[in-house]
Amino acid sequence: MKRIGLSTGFAVTALVAAMSTASVAQAGVTDEDILNDQMTTDDVVSNGLGPRGQRFSPLTRVNTDTVKELRPVWSFSFGGEKQRGQESQPMVKDGVMYVTASYSRVFAIDVKTGEELWEYNARLPDGIMPCCDVINRGVALYDDLVIFGTLDAKLVALNKDTGKTVWKKTVADYQEGYSLTAAPMIVKGKVITGVSGGEFGVVGKVEAYDAKTGDLVWTRPTVEGHMGYVYKDGKPVENGISGGQPGQTWPGDLWKTGGAATWLGGYYDPDTDSILIGTGNPAPWNSHMRPGDNLFSSSRLAIDPDDGSIKWHFQSTPHDGWDYDGVNELIAFDYEDNGKTVKAAATADRNGFFYVLNRENGDFIRGFPFVDKITWAKGLDDNGRPIYDDSMRPGNPADAKKGETVVAAPSFLGGKNWMPMAYSQETGYFYVPSNEWEMNIWNEPVNYKKGAAYLGAGFTIRAINEDYIGVLRAIDPKNGKEVWRYTNYAPLWGGVLATAGGLVFTGNPEGYLMAFDAKSGEMLYKFNTGSGIVGSPITWEMDGEQYVSVVSGWGGAVPLWGGEVAKRVKHFNQGGSVWTFKLPASAEMASR
Amino acid sequence: MKRCKALGWLLALCLLIGGQAQARLYDDVIASGYVRIGVYRDFPPYSWEQDGNAHGIDVALGQAIADALGVELRLHWMTPDETLDDDLRNNVWKGHYLDKDEDNPLALKNVADVMLRVPYDRDFSYKRDALGLLVNELVVMMSPYHQERWQLAFDTEKLDAVRTLAKFQYHPIGVEIDSLPAFYLTSALQGRMREQTHHYANAREAFAAMQQGRVSAVMAMRSEIDWLLHETGGARYRRAENGFPAMGKQAWDIGIAVAEDSRDLGYAVEALFDRMIRDGSMAQLFARYGVTYERPSLYMAGS
Repeated sequence: MKRIGLSTGFAVTALVAAMSTASVAQAGVTDEDILNDQMTTDDVVSNGLGPRGQRFSPLTRVNTDTVKELRPVWSFSFGGEKQRGQESQPMVKDGVMYVTASYSRVFAIDVKTGEELWEYNARLPDGIMPCCDVINRGVALYDDLVIFGTLDAKLVALNKDTGKTVWKKTVADYQEGYSLTAAPMIVKGKVITGVSGGEFGVVGKVEAYDAKTGDLVWTRPTVEGHMGYVYKDGKPVENGISGGQPGQTWPGDLWKTGGAATWLGGYYDPDTDSILIGTGNPAPWNSHMRPGDNLFSSSRLAIDPDDGSIKWHFQSTPHDGWDYDGVNELIAFDYEDNGKTVKAAATADRNGFFYVLNRENGDFIRGFPFVDKITWAKGLDDNGRPIYDDSMRPGNPADAKKGETVVAAPSFLGGKNWMPMAYSQETGYFYVPSNEWEMNIWNEPVNYKKGAAYLGAGFTIRAINEDYIGVLRAIDPKNGKEVWRYTNYAPLWGGVLATAGGLVFTGNPEGYLMAFDAKSGEMLYKFNTGSGIVGSPITWEMDGEQYVSVVSGWGGAVPLWGGEVAKRVKHFNQGGSVWTFKLPASAEMASR
Repeated sequence: MKRCKALGWLLALCLLIGGQAQARLYDDVIASGYVRIGVYRDFPPYSWEQDGNAHGIDVALGQAIADALGVELRLHWMTPDETLDDDLRNNVWKGHYLDKDEDNPLALKNVADVMLRVPYDRDFSYKRDALGLLVNELVVMMSPYHQERWQLAFDTEKLDAVRTLAKFQYHPIGVEIDSLPAFYLTSALQGRMREQTHHYANAREAFAAMQQGRVSAVMAMRSEIDWLLHETGGARYRRAENGFPAMGKQAWDIGIAVAEDSRDLGYAVEALFDRMIRDGSMAQLFARYGVTYERPSLYMAGS
């Protein structure tokens, strides 16, 4: 909405008021819109289709009966030579789609025609070194702003109508190894963002910026020992050290550079008024250098959105030695247990275990493997802490010349990686995109870095099964049972969407958008989009018709880090486009 | 800069190789009138920029190469990646995937004709991946010109001498983060030096911390220590005489890398460096930066 200055004369005010009335359908996105996103089916204004990130839509026109008739309406190309992994989730508001693409680009598209309205290309500096492809996972919408993070670690707010920059803030210094790839989140008028940066030396943090001005509101480091701040009139005011004091779970000064990057962003649970966000692995990678739990690495945190205080934490992999990031999404959901409603939250970790937590206090309710093979731990204890198998911890490079090869499962790319799962309020199941792979890790004394001898670790990833790596699983969080599975030759790397139409949508690197029966797992529909799908599908309603959109464009971490798995995926072609689908009128009629 | 021009066959060639790097052969380099020398950014005493000018041992060696070839020196500044394998890919054979020219999408990627400060180590050159394939088959590592090793410097006002590392169970020591000294001091010898190990962004910052009294010693590459002592002057900070027990690689040779198909260029550099090592001008060049010159092991036996 336009702002009316106090000094403006009556005529102008009246004119502006008239314009505002005329454009009432074009109103900016409000906090209420975001909180209600899951139930308002005519738009998608949050990452995850609602603040909790359940990726569940109550729409039913496209359903188990009609989905076979789904047809593409338009396809939009991101163009250029910039065909890298497309991991974005589109947003839709007032007939416009806002979607990001590789190399920090944003597009606004007319959803009726698939025509471009504007395009924003971030000017990236020389010498940035993002670890895992030049991807971006989407925008946040607030008021008349389209907000996203760039590879050089800036938050940029664009005008939704023009694509012109309204404000731009540096979240962290890209020269120190930081970057931004996650979709920011809006909570109570603030943009919440984490930071990416797998490199040694970074310290993870969560920050809140005033969505309208870009002013920093609070910052919360995710490594024990670092001070958090809230900002009053632009000045930092101390708000407590994360974890109380340094040196409790880290030796020496390693807490100063402890890693725990918050690179996947988080979600918000309005019930408990908590940001639920995960943290990456601790640094350095060699766990023998840092005895201790290394808080708050490989953890899930509940953070107060007003001042950034940590309310509780749950560490999935204490003293991580396998690169099991704890960034995977923690999804709030309720379930009935003996007539009582349990306020729970669930996460499927890199380390192969699925955890159900009490989201009011972080207590462990239950945990179980969601992949077929876990070697690094023998199980979980009563508090959800892993029972380690010490023979499966990679060796200490300082003790060993070459070292023995340890075979650990899952691989460091995880039983599940970044790709978001969905929770169906209809079936009560989580639909988890997972992968069955393991890794060999060995010490590599013959290695160099920047002209100096270096003790590296060699690793390679292998498929566990000949005929598949990817497994889409329907999991019952109440008992850990796998209800059904779909196996896929290539690893799954795209997000999932569940609908009240009894459907589960996801894409695969082979290029197919697929729809499954949410109860039986039967594949009811597939369509090849021409390049691999590693983004997250959405659905919405316009003029009485239900639409489905997904970005297509193969890339991300698998082809860069995939080891032997790279053989399975090397013939997949790159791309960069958005596909939008709906039912033809005839099928619509038939379904009524 | 190599850019495609919109001219008949040349355009066709550009289309074929657009977005890729292409090694320049010796004749291409001479004909172009310049040579691109790959040096690390912000890495004294080897290569760094100050007040808009390039300085350092490797920069001076790059100039010597350009002079010997009779061409202009163009520096290809490299941001180090996680390992040297990555640096070879980004700067010698493939180019970096972020090296894009907005106005000229078909332009070739910028790579170095000759990359300096590359280890000369047979085991590394012939390293194989898990499938048994050569990791760095697209580059040739040759022409060793220097031997590097680890060195410790200490503050004589804090410590009398450093004969063994046992001191660092009790006294703070500074290292560059994510370097071998960092690994070594935090994990070797049952981790007994771990609590006293302090991490800094680079050797200079660790040395500055010693000057501010926050650590009593610094461990880094000998050239870095030599240069920092040379820059500081005086007798307060001294080289230690300790050994590094249980450390796999105490010293290693440094040479150059060229793309696999431009060995000729490598041979020209090798001839120059060999002459400079034998006639003592290499050692003189290192001495300008206060750095002890140690010949690569190839020259140790006889020469």
